[in-house]
Amino acid sequence: MTIKWTLPLTAALICIVLTGCASQTVVLVPDPDGHTGSAAITTTGGSQTLQKPGDMTQVTGAAAAPAAVTAASAEFIAGKFADALAIEPLPAEKFILFFESGKTALAAESEPVAAEMLKAIKRRNPITISVSGHADASGSTQLNDRLANERAGLVRELLLNNGVAPEKMTLSSHGKGNPLIATPDGVAEPRNRRVEVIIR
Amino acid sequence: MKIMAYVLSLLFAVATPCLAVSDNAIGHINTLNGSGYIVRGGAVIPAKVGAVLHRADLVRTGKPGSLGVVLTDDTTISLGPNSELSLAEYEFNPREGKFSLVVRMMKGTFAYLSGMIARLAPGNAQIVIPDATIAVRGTKLLIAAEE
Repeated sequence: MTIKWTLPLTAALICIVLTGCASQTVVLVPDPDGHTGSAAITTTGGSQTLQKPGDMTQVTGAAAAPAAVTAASAEFIAGKFADALAIEPLPAEKFILFFESGKTALAAESEPVAAEMLKAIKRRNPITISVSGHADASGSTQLNDRLANERAGLVRELLLNNGVAPEKMTLSSHGKGNPLIATPDGVAEPRNRRVEVIIR
Repeated sequence: MKIMAYVLSLLFAVATPCLAVSDNAIGHINTLNGSGYIVRGGAVIPAKVGAVLHRADLVRTGKPGSLGVVLTDDTTISLGPNSELSLAEYEFNPREGKFSLVVRMMKGTFAYLSGMIARLAPGNAQIVIPDATIAVRGTKLLIAAEE
């Protein structure tokens, strides 16, 4: 009888003395777009995977396995994470402008998107604007790097002409390395000939 | 010749700081309430909205204090009061297919939203908390680390 409760008590005491029994809580929640991913929490003692919205686990000490997954209540989330959630930056807004094949000319159907983008920039007054140029997989790597770069440069000009401060912009060229639609090499794909503008 | 040297030195003076900034900036502080700090190479810099973040920076909040960080790949992390975070590893280079993200959350409360690194290279995005590591597959997490 004595041993039964002495052992856990001793273990708890050692834990408090040595580590302060610091614990960590991890809760999976849906993304702003409603989709929920997954996360694997691993200690030297084991692993737990969170898969559903509200899935929660706790970790107490590096040697112990993470606790069994439970459901976090809305009250718990609101109580514990109110401050962190209240200060979350607005989700980034992305605008995709498409281009003519092999050229740096904006496709006609992308002109309204460009207008919408300029309106959003006026409304949000973003901290940063990233402009990335992309090409499809037809043509050489060098040609695609150059095209992607020139397309990004064209959009930068458009933003400058509309009063965006140059220091807010970061320019990058992804060549054919980051396609919107995966294709085999050499395939022309209009949706990959694009500039992505992300305002944050 | 003298003029040439003058022009060249002027060019360097103008060009170098720009390069330094674009090479090292991995994100910014986008929102701030109360007090926050960036610790960079031992120096403590008060946080401001728009402040640039570098790899290996430590970000801290006071009590009261909370702030939101957005990295260049769209990873978004907000910190509640009395929280501490290290941007230990960061590489976002889609052109060469190089991606890595290791964020250490030492204490406090956090809301974390994955960016492009976790989407393009799911195995390469990791959150480290005091007693565990979290492998993130494109998602949003709330994390609390008690002292």
